[in-house]
Amino acid sequence: MALLEDLIFFDNPSVWNDFGGTSSGLLGVVWQMAIWSIIVAILVTGWMIYNLIYYRHTEGDPDHKDALKVGVFPHERGNAKIEIAWTIAPLILVSWLTFISLAPLDYLWDVDGQEEDLTIDVIAGQWYWQFEPPICSEKGNENSWCDDGVYQEPLNFTKCDSKFDCLEIPHGAVVHFRLTSNDVLHAFNFPEIGIKQDVVPNLETLAWLDTNEIEVGQYDMWCAEFCGDRHSKMDADIHITTVCEPGFELNSKTGKCEEVQ
Amino acid sequence: MNKKTLSLGFIIAILFAVTAFPTGNSLPTGIADPNMVANGCTCHTDGIMASDVVINLTELPENYNVSQVYTFTLKISGGPEPLEGGNQGGFFIAASYGTLESVDNTTQVPEGQNHLTHNAYGNGQREWSFNWIAPESDSKVAVFTVYGNSVNGNAGSSNGAGGDYWNKAEFKVAGVNAKIVVEEEEMSMPQKMVYAFTVLLLTLSAVVVGNRMVVNDQSFEDVMKDYWDAAYPWLTTTDHKYIGTLYIVTGFAFFFIGGVLGLLIRLQLFESDNDFLTYEEYNSTFTMHGTTMIFLAAMPIIFGFANYLIPLQLGARDLAFPRLNALSYWLLPTGGIVIYMGYFTGGAGDVGWTGYTPYSSGDTATTPGTDFWVAGQIMLGASSTLTAINFLTTMLRMRAPGMTLMRMPLFAWSIFVTVFLLLLSIPVFTVALILLMADRTFGTLYFDVEAGGDPILWQHLFWYFGHPEVYIVILPAFGVLSEIISTFSRRPIFGYTSMVYAMATIGVISFIVYGHHMFTTGADPLFRFIVMLTTMLVAVPTGIKIFNWLATMTGGSIVLKTPMIFALGTVITFTIGGITGIILASIPVDVALHDGYFVVAHFHYVLVGGTIFSFIAGVYYWYPKMTGKMMNEKLGLLHFATSFIFFNAAFYPMHNVGIEGMPRRYATYDAEFTELNEFISITAILFGLVQLIFVYNVFYSYKKGEDAGDNPWDGWSLEWATSSPPPHNSFVEIPTLKVAEEEGH
Repeated sequence: MALLEDLIFFDNPSVWNDFGGTSSGLLGVVWQMAIWSIIVAILVTGWMIYNLIYYRHTEGDPDHKDALKVGVFPHERGNAKIEIAWTIAPLILVSWLTFISLAPLDYLWDVDGQEEDLTIDVIAGQWYWQFEPPICSEKGNENSWCDDGVYQEPLNFTKCDSKFDCLEIPHGAVVHFRLTSNDVLHAFNFPEIGIKQDVVPNLETLAWLDTNEIEVGQYDMWCAEFCGDRHSKMDADIHITTVCEPGFELNSKTGKCEEVQ
Repeated sequence: MNKKTLSLGFIIAILFAVTAFPTGNSLPTGIADPNMVANGCTCHTDGIMASDVVINLTELPENYNVSQVYTFTLKISGGPEPLEGGNQGGFFIAASYGTLESVDNTTQVPEGQNHLTHNAYGNGQREWSFNWIAPESDSKVAVFTVYGNSVNGNAGSSNGAGGDYWNKAEFKVAGVNAKIVVEEEEMSMPQKMVYAFTVLLLTLSAVVVGNRMVVNDQSFEDVMKDYWDAAYPWLTTTDHKYIGTLYIVTGFAFFFIGGVLGLLIRLQLFESDNDFLTYEEYNSTFTMHGTTMIFLAAMPIIFGFANYLIPLQLGARDLAFPRLNALSYWLLPTGGIVIYMGYFTGGAGDVGWTGYTPYSSGDTATTPGTDFWVAGQIMLGASSTLTAINFLTTMLRMRAPGMTLMRMPLFAWSIFVTVFLLLLSIPVFTVALILLMADRTFGTLYFDVEAGGDPILWQHLFWYFGHPEVYIVILPAFGVLSEIISTFSRRPIFGYTSMVYAMATIGVISFIVYGHHMFTTGADPLFRFIVMLTTMLVAVPTGIKIFNWLATMTGGSIVLKTPMIFALGTVITFTIGGITGIILASIPVDVALHDGYFVVAHFHYVLVGGTIFSFIAGVYYWYPKMTGKMMNEKLGLLHFATSFIFFNAAFYPMHNVGIEGMPRRYATYDAEFTELNEFISITAILFGLVQLIFVYNVFYSYKKGEDAGDNPWDGWSLEWATSSPPPHNSFVEIPTLKVAEEEGH
């Protein structure tokens, strides 16, 4: 039964929930894809079953007047109106699916439009992820973890003991990742969130993450582009941690900051 | 009597092979060698043994003298570039005789131990010196066992040993009076396999030949002559029917090998942290699985059918260039053998069927396995290019009277579009492969990133070919389906003209969609946006084809025989594959699914559920024409029912695993995916096993099938106008294609 449940319910990448604006919900690209897939599949199977029920050959059926004869190119069969209809209908459908892909695409690709608090340089190599210390932007300076443009690691950040394969970032920040590779292709991939960007040697690629949108906790980061022997072991832990203002302390039960008594 | 001797011989051969076969052992053992742990080195349990880490022990004397003190220098080279300020390496050395002694503060002999190793001060370097005091006897051979660990210095994180490479070496110094016994090295696994297969093959042939000699009372020479007479026509033929059969048989043989590789993948993925295969073996396995299935199975099966049927359907006696056709064919098994050579040289190509640079041009890919992979592919590229030229010429110049282009059967049309795509795309891939070969073999820098090469140039060259390639394997399947559905509905195909235009449109669009394989690279956003639009458009002509097939059935008189049932099953599985294709075309959705199991599910639905299923339908459909015998219906239905169920059971759950985030090409995966993966593995193995019904049916029907007659299914195209099997020159007299409208039917 658990297997059946796995087949019906699954955790979709969380970015699908907040594609933003008109693209969420039933009219959003994810639901529309699911709905139209089911409609098309039912249409095709339904029509086929209908044919199999009503147009089966039984022994002794007379041959149709345009039945096939060997060595003779058969009668042209067709109906211009119907054929045009099923050319136009899929065209409209895929145009619609393309159209509703645009808003989330804007959202995903609009790195510049998301004013960042922190920028983190990420270097990938066979087979590790290296996270350089974050760089504060002007906007980031308003936060307690930035002091005059220099990132100060909050005191409650204790999850990582090196810059390799582990990163702890504050909740409530827009983070830009500048990605580059030391050797071959890799891909920067948060499976639970649904963000993926190839990491290419000699090229700087960008990814961004709004930690306001996701819950505090530990996230996996897996390499998604084949990079050699230990490809499947090239993972990193990303921790999203709440940072409290000075004079406040994190309550481990509620997960919220409370004033120090 | 004859049969009994033969089966007894087979059993003896198999028993012999089983004893001769090497037993499997589970690699890698990691650096946690039992001896080493016993000696106190328990760190670095997760590193990788790598042959590019070279250990050198220098200043060894040729022979040692009793109790003399020697100073050795141990040097490690190769392995990862150390990161700034990090650790660089470590070592461990044990001597079978004599005493090791530290001479500075970078090495130590741990208390109570005899071996020497680095200490915390000595792990920032890759070179150490120390003393060895020779034993008190000079008749011994001292063996130094050295482990060298070359690290990148990222230790301390959760996965501290990631990026650690180690290697093991042994050095020997004999005493001045020692006798040196030369030990034979143990054979490597592939060498053992070669020997085992040779033994198996020789025993089997001895049994078969011996059996014939005894039963037929022939001399050895006579038996050999019989075999030669039987093989000779196949080896020297230029007849399109013989070459077509060779192509089909070769294709299905490689399909079997590729299928076994696929099942090895599934065995590895049965558990989340399985060590059934090493990482490198796993990478070789999926590389060879993909390459085999596309280039050595799907394409040969398609061109086998094309070879056999196109001249028959066009009313021609043969292809335009029969000798060129033979050359095209013989390049295929030779190329295939070259690709598989990697297995006998320490590991087949491990770069994925896509062979992305800079991994494939760099030195971490298997050598020379990857070189063999490249070389073999170049041969297959040449083979396909020649085939394309041959078919284009034949189809444009050699059609029977009355056979205008717009009166060709739809299978012929699908091949016509396919060879156009092949001619325009595969030379690009061949050229890219030649550049890659030059990089790997002659030290050129086409793909070298450090020399300024474009890191994603290869992807453009590859997918410019790669996307038309997937239409090259699916368009002929459309042709087969059109033929079968029309024949078994006993009606002409609905919308013949729109079918032709739909295929031509798919052909044209195929060249402008390839960028959808590169949605997550750093390629220009405008480029990616445009290919999203064009990719969505593929749904339009494909939809036309599916609707036309269904409309053909409506108003027809449907006969449900195995070929038709397989064809209808294909329409369903292919439709699912097509739908997931549209889902993947939407960039925002694809970003999450790219390089994951959803993609794996998608292309198995189109390649197995589309191409392979429809060509299996094609075998059931044209087997009577090729052999003159009908295939067994009951076995056919059983084959369909089991294949259809197990195919869907194996590949449908991959969609779910993919949405939940499992990346493809992973030798190990997160434990959360275990349950579904186990289910997939079990059903995939069942899917593989039930294909044996099909193999059995092919042989069984060849012996015992009913006679087929010239036109068992009442088809219209010209292959049904000749006898089954067709005569030597295909037609006794070149037929003229009549037209129903003019005939007044």
